[in-house]
Amino acid sequence: MRVRQWAYLVPVFLIIFALSWSAPLDVGPTYAVRNAKIVPVTGPVIDKGTLIIRDGLIEAIGAADKVVIPDDAEIIEAEGLIAYPGLISAHTNLFLEEAAAPARAAGEAAPSPAELMAGAAAQPQSPQYAELFAFKNLKPRKSTLDGLLRAGFTTVLVAPNRGIFQGQSVIVNLNGEEPGPMVVKNPAALHINFTTNRGGYPSSLMGTIAYIRQSFLDADHYAAVQALYAKNLKGMIRPEFDPFLEALGPYLKDRKPVVFQCNNYEEIKRALKIIEEFKLNALLTHVNEAWRDADILKKSALPLLVTLDFRPPNGSKYVSQGEDLRKKAEAEIYPANAANLAKAGLKFALTTFGLNDAATAIKNVQAAIKAGLPKDEALKALTIQPALFLGLAQQLGSLETGKIANIILTKGELFEDKTQVDKVFVDGVLWKF
Amino acid sequence: MRKRITLFLLVAGLTAGLIFAQAKPAKVIAIKGARIVPVVGDDIETGTIIIKDGKIEAVGRDVAIPAGAEVVEAKGLTAYPGMIDGYSLLGLQEISGVNETVDNRETGRINPQVRAIEALRSDSMHIPISLANGITAALVAPSGGLISGQSTLIKLYGWTNREMAIKASAAMQIEFPAIRGGRGGFGGGMGRGGGAGAADATRLIAELKELFNKARSYEKRKAFAAKTQTVGLPGLDETSEFLLPVIKGDLPVMISVHSDRDIKAALAFVKDENLKAMFYGVEQGWKVADELKKSSIPVIIGSTYDMPPVWEDGYDQLYLNPVLLNKAGVKIAFSSSSASVAWNLPYHAAKAAAFGLDKREALKAVTIYPAEIFGVDKMMGSIERGKAANIVLSDGDILETRTNIKKVYVDGRDCDLSNKYTELLEKYKKK
Amino acid sequence: MNARLKRLWIAALILAVASLPAFSAGGSLLIKNGTLLTVTKGVIAKGDILVLDGIIRQIGMNIQAPPGVQVIDATGKYVIPGIIDSHTHIALNGTNEGSEAITPEADVGTVVNADDTAILTALGGGVTMVHTMHGSANPIGGPNVVLKMKWGKPSEDMIVNEALRTLKFALGENVKQSSRTILPGGPPPRYPQTRMGTNAIIRREMLKARVYMEEWDRYNKLKTSKTPPKILVPLRKDLRMEVLADLLRGKMVARCHDYQATEALEFMGLAKEFGFKIQALEHAWEAYKIADELAAAKIGISVFADSWAYKMEAAEGIAYDAGYCAKKGVLVSINSDSAERIRRLFNDAGKTMKFGGLNETEALSLVTINPAIQLGVDKIVGSLEVGKQGDIAIFNEHPMSAYTRCDMTIIEGDVYFDRAQYLKEREEAAKQAQAPKKGGRP
Repeated sequence: MRVRQWAYLVPVFLIIFALSWSAPLDVGPTYAVRNAKIVPVTGPVIDKGTLIIRDGLIEAIGAADKVVIPDDAEIIEAEGLIAYPGLISAHTNLFLEEAAAPARAAGEAAPSPAELMAGAAAQPQSPQYAELFAFKNLKPRKSTLDGLLRAGFTTVLVAPNRGIFQGQSVIVNLNGEEPGPMVVKNPAALHINFTTNRGGYPSSLMGTIAYIRQSFLDADHYAAVQALYAKNLKGMIRPEFDPFLEALGPYLKDRKPVVFQCNNYEEIKRALKIIEEFKLNALLTHVNEAWRDADILKKSALPLLVTLDFRPPNGSKYVSQGEDLRKKAEAEIYPANAANLAKAGLKFALTTFGLNDAATAIKNVQAAIKAGLPKDEALKALTIQPALFLGLAQQLGSLETGKIANIILTKGELFEDKTQVDKVFVDGVLWKF
Repeated sequence: MRKRITLFLLVAGLTAGLIFAQAKPAKVIAIKGARIVPVVGDDIETGTIIIKDGKIEAVGRDVAIPAGAEVVEAKGLTAYPGMIDGYSLLGLQEISGVNETVDNRETGRINPQVRAIEALRSDSMHIPISLANGITAALVAPSGGLISGQSTLIKLYGWTNREMAIKASAAMQIEFPAIRGGRGGFGGGMGRGGGAGAADATRLIAELKELFNKARSYEKRKAFAAKTQTVGLPGLDETSEFLLPVIKGDLPVMISVHSDRDIKAALAFVKDENLKAMFYGVEQGWKVADELKKSSIPVIIGSTYDMPPVWEDGYDQLYLNPVLLNKAGVKIAFSSSSASVAWNLPYHAAKAAAFGLDKREALKAVTIYPAEIFGVDKMMGSIERGKAANIVLSDGDILETRTNIKKVYVDGRDCDLSNKYTELLEKYKKK
Repeated sequence: MNARLKRLWIAALILAVASLPAFSAGGSLLIKNGTLLTVTKGVIAKGDILVLDGIIRQIGMNIQAPPGVQVIDATGKYVIPGIIDSHTHIALNGTNEGSEAITPEADVGTVVNADDTAILTALGGGVTMVHTMHGSANPIGGPNVVLKMKWGKPSEDMIVNEALRTLKFALGENVKQSSRTILPGGPPPRYPQTRMGTNAIIRREMLKARVYMEEWDRYNKLKTSKTPPKILVPLRKDLRMEVLADLLRGKMVARCHDYQATEALEFMGLAKEFGFKIQALEHAWEAYKIADELAAAKIGISVFADSWAYKMEAAEGIAYDAGYCAKKGVLVSINSDSAERIRRLFNDAGKTMKFGGLNETEALSLVTINPAIQLGVDKIVGSLEVGKQGDIAIFNEHPMSAYTRCDMTIIEGDVYFDRAQYLKEREEAAKQAQAPKKGGRP
């Protein structure tokens, strides 16, 4: 061909190129999970059903005799297996690179003078890591991923766990060791904990509360001054840049979600006061004593991320009135938290926050069920409810066409004793244990 | 020159005479018209006590007053025996937070050689305050470690520590761990004892037995070496030296012990080693009251100003403990367990009475019972003929907070009751 | 109007009055036949007290119990107003913000802990109300809070909103951290380390607060003026300064931990300099040295009966302190400052009869009406008077006797401590423990 004819082909090639850029470079297999019992969570159970997974999404779901299996689908015979949405833990501290010190729960003894001194000398402390993105410190390890997936978890929120303003969390699908492709939402929320800054200010809980309030006041003030400056670049003294207050901005101005960690029932009330004062868009996490504030929580209608960690808070009256009561608290009272919340008609998600491994979490779900939490409520609390709370309900939390194909296939019903997770799909890819 | 010397001698003599006259108690004193509570024997509605040469010569309703006696009109007042504090830090502590003034805790765990009397500060500001509240004698004990040292029994009047010593070496102090308040208690106690750390009594008893056996071998070796003159003397073993009187039964032990389990173990230990013993603290004693009764080991109650150590034992466990022990027939005595508020001794007794202890038993537990426990009941603890004239004149029940003490006699001496409290008050009244 | 209508009106009126503070939601009971030590209105032998819906409605003799009202037989017993502890640190999650010297933004009212079993301890000692406070780590600590010892109720229901707002100050050894060891390589000691520095830092903060208040006054004036400036930069609200401003505006009173006479006088000087009110000095072991000055300045003290000689500044703390100052016209309360002493405040009050010559009523006042006045709640508690809240304690002997014990503690007509009930439960528990268990481990 002559040069001019080649020239006409260039834009054609460019267009084809452009179109192909929009397609994922790595196309995984299409799957047809056939003849499984399907529990969509947001719809009726399908006794014998088929799921079609393509390009990471659920392409089709329905009765086995109704769903057409595409030609390019790899068939997964799932007779005898049950398909559930992958479980979501709406609060974890997984995969964080620095071995961060665990956040101190309220009720712990105040640091001794020696500790204060030592703390100050030992490592740089700060009550504020608001600019810290959990995503930046993610280092997923296969062994941890395996454990989570074997327990049925396919999505987790990872929050930093140091300081009072702990930083901004990220929501990830457990699809591999590369952080980038895991991200579902970043940042997810700003996390605040009622802890203290050992070795510095604030070193007391009341100081922390004042500090949180002052920080929000300052963030408001900062934003107002910045806004005024933007209108008066000529003639106004330039306000000082503050990265911390900058980071808080969106959570006040745009009402981005703020998660308060409430380690006992008093902290729930303390959080509510702050949330009310600054009109924050808030969620409460940990809250393993939430049942004690059921009435108040009903009125506030805040999303509750309820931990499956049943350890009674240190200062709880249930652990300071004799051995018998303490044993009862650990064995019966605290495991019944979720059941009581359900009874009171409160909406909540269950999380693995504070637990060392996912298997314990599942055991604790069983304990919660034994203590009176209806099984389907437990399932909702680990699927659609966290999805709703975290703003992911379009993408995750149930088995619906168009949602991300995070699916677990179990031998036996979820939360039964002998149940095993047989297969897991994360982002439509079959996980290799 | 001679005139000056004579003048000097005259003045000196007069002064000395005056001082001497002030210093020496009147030979015969008659306390007349008081209500008398001898503690041993019946109360006397109105009676007279005759004191001669520091001793109680006579006490009764109709007692003849010898000629030349100094008569003390005591109408409207009550005469009690001076109280005895079963355990205190008097003289070993001035300001508890200032280490320089604290002498009751030696470093190390095994210190049988240290003696409280040798550090007893006779002019401690706390001693006259206790005296002014009717306490005439007190046990002063070292603390800490497993073997803390030798306690001393003192009278609360004297110009030197040795003058105050009734028994320079009263008992060997041994301490077992406090009951851990921790998660189970009412916010934990002051943890009396417990210098031996987290080890429980069983292991400590084994350690003590070993020390005792070592002391016995040491003695045997010493005796043998002395006899034969050819066998070498053993090197000085200080610990063994000072444990020997205990082993031989010449010096009783006071074991600071707290949990029921440890009390039982201590009882067995005392029996095995054939020791003369008394127990201190004994917070869960009521649980093993029968065993304690059978052993005849007396109990000195710790301060009731402590938090109850075990939740399940109830908020009133420290108050009920002496009541139940007393009911079971165990001999009890109260203590202040303090220096700065040692004068509160009677109110610990009253507190137990508030929770059921017979009032008379409460009074005995700060008078005759501690005297018996410390083996000085022939000398004090009651108003009886022949005993030392340790007598308190009060305007009411000596165990009551509102009662004022008017006079305190120690060995027949009418003691000056001024103290740090009264001195500062008088000073500022003059403002 | 006719007789029938009149009766209806009267019945309606009685009903209305009887159900008056329905939102007080307190309990109702009739205490019968006790010796009533009202504190302010004398002693009534064989007296009755009727509490309805948490308020004392009647005090007298031979009161009839309305239907459904629990009757408490107080025959042979002594009935007093619930004891008020004017200085303690219980029922809080933390008491000191020690990392900095000046921290009035730290408010103990934000960390009330209703799960603290010290509340039960207090109830066992006849205590119905406490002023729970900052510790003494700071020259200026922060606001305190007054609580009713309503064990089992949520913390917000325990807070006494009628109380004066108080701000904790501290002087002396604790503040200057005398007992701290400076670790080599550790942070430098916190200023101030002397009493002069303590006064200086308080003065500095007051001056700062004045500047802050002035700035805001100016700003507000400019904002609302007819010709506001073109650029009016918003002012920063400073929680720390806000509290000090409230103190200077008279919305809060100072409660100051002090031992020595000099530091007390100097603090009084600061109060004069900046125009704030000292409600009371805490501990004040040398108050007797300046009793006249305190009485003249109408500054109260909140002290121990006898716990002294634990620090140098407590080395001249004589047991006459409380009684002597009381006789000199100082408003004195006796406090516990601990979960241990809170059990026996009545015993401590009794000691002022011996040290100071106070009579029974004066002594009892030290733990009832006096702390109530200091806390600004004397209109609602502190004595047995019609119209006050039904905060009552019942003792088996006169509360000023060493032989007494608290048998019942009532708050707003609800029984929160009942020794007889407690003993019954212990007996039950003991029986249960002895009963043979069905299988399982013994």
